[in-house]
Amino acid sequence: MNRMEALEAIKDMVSDELVVTTAGSATSDWHVVHPSDGQLQAKTLGLCSSIGLGLAIGQPDRRVIVLDGDGALWMNLSSLGTIGWKRPRNLVHICMDNGNYESSGGTPTASSARMNFAAVARGAGIESAVEADNPADFAAAVKHALSSDGPHFIWCRISGSRAKAPPFPMDELENKYRFIRFVEKTTGKTILQQSQVASQLH
Amino acid sequence: MATAEAASRIVDGLKQAGIDFVVAVPDINMLEILRKLEQDPDIEYTPVGREEEGIGVCTGGHLTGHRTAIFMQNGGLMNSCNGLTTTALQFGIPILLMVYYAGHLGDSAFHMLGLVTEPVLRALDIKHQVLTDAARVQEQIAQASTLAEAAKRPVALLMTRAVL
Repeated sequence: MNRMEALEAIKDMVSDELVVTTAGSATSDWHVVHPSDGQLQAKTLGLCSSIGLGLAIGQPDRRVIVLDGDGALWMNLSSLGTIGWKRPRNLVHICMDNGNYESSGGTPTASSARMNFAAVARGAGIESAVEADNPADFAAAVKHALSSDGPHFIWCRISGSRAKAPPFPMDELENKYRFIRFVEKTTGKTILQQSQVASQLH
Repeated sequence: MATAEAASRIVDGLKQAGIDFVVAVPDINMLEILRKLEQDPDIEYTPVGREEEGIGVCTGGHLTGHRTAIFMQNGGLMNSCNGLTTTALQFGIPILLMVYYAGHLGDSAFHMLGLVTEPVLRALDIKHQVLTDAARVQEQIAQASTLAEAAKRPVALLMTRAVL
């Protein structure tokens, strides 16, 4: 199973969930299979899981899906401890693990050897931590995660082969504003507003 | 360790500025502040293991409509430089950085951190102020938060022992 096959297997389950995609090809691949303003690209390697945690805490009535990678999660393993402590019920953390730094030329990561991310997540306090290495198991794990209280962690083991998706078509600012407008539209919240100009108050 | 009075002043200042979402890595000099924040029902409080995580968590908080702040020591500010640059600055995320200024004048611990802290903030183009007067702390928190939200950027307040 490559990443595109894995994402194809779950795309129809996602509607108004907030999705954060890790720095690298997960961002462009997810945009191809499920284009939506509810997708935020992470640019800092590792911060995908932390941004997702912040979204889950900030909007507890909305499910948040994190599409993480193995290089990114290895860099920010401490985020698993924080998620295991805060236990947001609405967080679905998926680590798409191809065992290498794909965007950096394919150098191996720790999970190419003995690192078991599901065991690490369980040890960090995320009891619902499962492993999938084929589209049917992965789809079943995501379906379960989207219909029950979390936090959930899914270790999705994929092959290194990849489809060539076109680059994500937005810069960070456009992505942010569209994402916030998506949150506003789907929650009824007002987030962006012109603040009163302090220099005109007096 | 911050006195109870100093801690109340800072926590009240945050709440008056509309901050409702706080992330922290502890420093002994901020202990009393963090205890108060953790117990405050109006504050969503998240302890993180590493400061850069906190930049990510605050980003998620901002995107869902919260005013955010992170408490950390200046060593943690150094740990956060990539997240501040490629997430907070690149996406335009307002975060109030409440930084304990270790190694400032009169503080013998972490003197090298004290030396590099303000040059690093200047290099990152993150506006900052050093808090030295307890009577002005609430006003400076309000001003820094207003600027962060308007400019959609992190703004840093460096807390010296005089205000803790």
